[in-house]
Amino acid sequence: MRGPTILGLATVAAAAVLLELLVASGVLPAYIFVRPSAILFSIVGLFREEALLERLLVTLGATLLSAAMAVVSGVSLGWALHRCRLLDEIFGTWIAALAAAPLILLYPLFLVVFGRGEPTIIAMAYVASLVAMTLKTRDGLAGVRSVLRAVGSSFRVTSAQLFWKIELPAAAPAIFTGIRLALIFALINVIGIEFMINDGGIGGLIADLADRYEVPSMYAAILFVVLASVAFFWATERAERWFNPA
Amino acid sequence: MVQPRISSRLRARARRQWIAAAAFVGYLVLWQLIARAGIFYEGVIPSSIAILRALYEIAFDRALYLNTAVTAFEVAVAISIGCGCGLALGLLGGAVRIIGSAYEPYVHYLAPTPKIVFLPVLLLFFGVGFGTKIALGALSAFFPMAIATLAGVRSVDPVLLRVGRSFNLSRLQLALKIYLPALRAPVLTGLKLGFGFALIGVLLAEIKLSNAGLGFMAIQYYNHFEMAELYALMVIIFLLAGGANALVDQLMPRRWGG
Amino acid sequence: MRKIVLALVVTGLSLANGPVFANDVVKVASAQKGFWDTTILLYGERAGLFKAQGLDLEITWTNGGAETEQAVISGSVDIAAANGILGAIAAYAKGAPVRIIAAESTGVNDLFWYARGDSGLKSFGDLDGKTVGFSSPGSSSNMVALALIAQAHVSAKPVATGGAPGTLTQVMSGQIDVGWAVPPLHFDLIDQGKIRIIGRGSDIAEMRDQTVRVFETNTTTLATHRDILSRFFRAYQKTLDWAYREPEALVQFAADNKVSLEQAHRARDEFYPQSALALAPISNLDLTVKQAIELRRLSAPLTAEQVRELIDIVYDPRTEK
Repeated sequence: MRGPTILGLATVAAAAVLLELLVASGVLPAYIFVRPSAILFSIVGLFREEALLERLLVTLGATLLSAAMAVVSGVSLGWALHRCRLLDEIFGTWIAALAAAPLILLYPLFLVVFGRGEPTIIAMAYVASLVAMTLKTRDGLAGVRSVLRAVGSSFRVTSAQLFWKIELPAAAPAIFTGIRLALIFALINVIGIEFMINDGGIGGLIADLADRYEVPSMYAAILFVVLASVAFFWATERAERWFNPA
Repeated sequence: MVQPRISSRLRARARRQWIAAAAFVGYLVLWQLIARAGIFYEGVIPSSIAILRALYEIAFDRALYLNTAVTAFEVAVAISIGCGCGLALGLLGGAVRIIGSAYEPYVHYLAPTPKIVFLPVLLLFFGVGFGTKIALGALSAFFPMAIATLAGVRSVDPVLLRVGRSFNLSRLQLALKIYLPALRAPVLTGLKLGFGFALIGVLLAEIKLSNAGLGFMAIQYYNHFEMAELYALMVIIFLLAGGANALVDQLMPRRWGG
Repeated sequence: MRKIVLALVVTGLSLANGPVFANDVVKVASAQKGFWDTTILLYGERAGLFKAQGLDLEITWTNGGAETEQAVISGSVDIAAANGILGAIAAYAKGAPVRIIAAESTGVNDLFWYARGDSGLKSFGDLDGKTVGFSSPGSSSNMVALALIAQAHVSAKPVATGGAPGTLTQVMSGQIDVGWAVPPLHFDLIDQGKIRIIGRGSDIAEMRDQTVRVFETNTTTLATHRDILSRFFRAYQKTLDWAYREPEALVQFAADNKVSLEQAHRARDEFYPQSALALAPISNLDLTVKQAIELRRLSAPLTAEQVRELIDIVYDPRTEK
């Protein structure tokens, strides 16, 4: 796919050059639009003075922690919903409704309980990821073909063996998708909340730079966040494909 | 033999509704107990009764409806712009192969990026007022629509296309008679997701700065430590979002079991 | 349908983009609705004091900080009210087309710090090894907290706790020892003895005459509509005089904040002396510049030329008296 890739990259490059010329010549106001060259220069400053790397690690740490918690509890909850019809009837519709709800808006409530800091960020990301993980697990287990269960019961397996040897492997693709979704939602929410409460990793950095009116650095930080997200999602996609050759 | 089957389905549905209702009451009671237990500082977790009372008061407050109208307006315009552009790009990308292949990776990988981080930039461009909030909403709504449309165009049944071409349909006729009907489901999916993301974008922008809208209303309650009112408003916002989602669901083709 | 949307979009964008000065409409961005000093212009507006100068105010409330700054930089509002002076200086130093046209708040009398009633803490002198909250890095509450700790010669740890509501929870749940707030928040709790004020912004002698919040405008507005700005501040001064003389503003303040009239009186009289809200001068700029450099918002002190350019008091009530 050489042609399209070149076209895509060429478009980005052309846009950058055009922006550079328009701002340098004064056509576009310099305190709103920033020269791409200024953005690139300030990236170095971001690493040196703004501890960009440490901030990135903080964000990643919060993401992985909340996603891990969501995966563990989500798989358990999803399994419980699958096994117990009553639980599913009680909680199922609520959880499905939550999946479509703007959960991130709940953050002021968490702010009041946990205060401004990592606990709020992690709690918020956990809740957002939990829903996706739970639903994917439940649907994955429900989607296990009945012929597989029939095979299992014809071998008279115990329910534990049924779960570990038949249901879980069959539901694995859905569960891995759920893990990827949990990671993605966690990252989005972590960065988002960090930005909203002006604290924490790279999201908080953007808010901080905006506050200090360091416009080129702010653009650079935003660019960095975009690149970091892209890298993260590419990595999780690759990982999921590696687990799920199908 | 039909009669017993219908009534047993009705009975099952009634049973589910009773359980849902009982569960709801159970949540309220549990919440009340947690609030009273004193684990959290009082006022942080207001009791169910306080929240219900606040719900009642807010429902009769004119401010709620004015703010809802503002948010609804912003979301509507945001969706029009964002989903409109997304649809256009999707159709263009589907129609012109090289454009689709060139730009689809960008759309695909930029889609999960948290759009809220663009708020300071939008603020510089559009200032205070509707502009920034609509812009963030539009930016958020663009991606799901673009992705859904691109996927939709690609997945049009090639058999249908061959049939169309064998009848010598013009490009316009192909578009209207084959592509458009086939795109209904993906476009509606894109619209539904776009609505959800646009709502989040608009509300977050209203929280950061505004003088109107549901997000503004919420952050005012937070700043004044009116927790019961804040919870009540959250409930209202979630109900409205859920309602709008259900509305779009109604438009979905029945075939998909919707 | 598309035409309607297009019309809406064009209207919305044009409303958002330029300062609309037809018929003397003044667009103001102010931070934190509800507090006495930030909301007083709303009370004046309601009382018709701005209309008397031929002005209609359109007020947008932000959460403070960058948003208010960016609003005036982008030209979408004419005046940024109650903006932190550190932010104004930083923006100017980076080439933003902003000017300081009046003082909004001098001294930090409104800030207070409190501890739980049962904590046994009575003053900052008791705070060895304790944690002290402030809103966010670089804020005036940050500067005052550091100053109070230094003044008491204790080894207390300042912690960014965000907004006042979250701060209260953290204090009451024991996560931090001392929280910050501004009136009339928590007055109920103070009256009930559940919390106790242990420090005030006014305790810091050095900052007592420092202008911490200002009014800003952008250079375009200043050049083309100086007269309107002058009328705005005339009306604002009248508002100040009226709000401290007549009871109506206090009544509205009490109602908006859901506090009693007595508490509202206490908030205004003990924490917001009228002199603190004087429109001029911008005092103790040297201290501000020093703080700005400490917080890396300025790389070097402002030259006299820069100060002359940055500060342009549009209307000085002292010259009227």
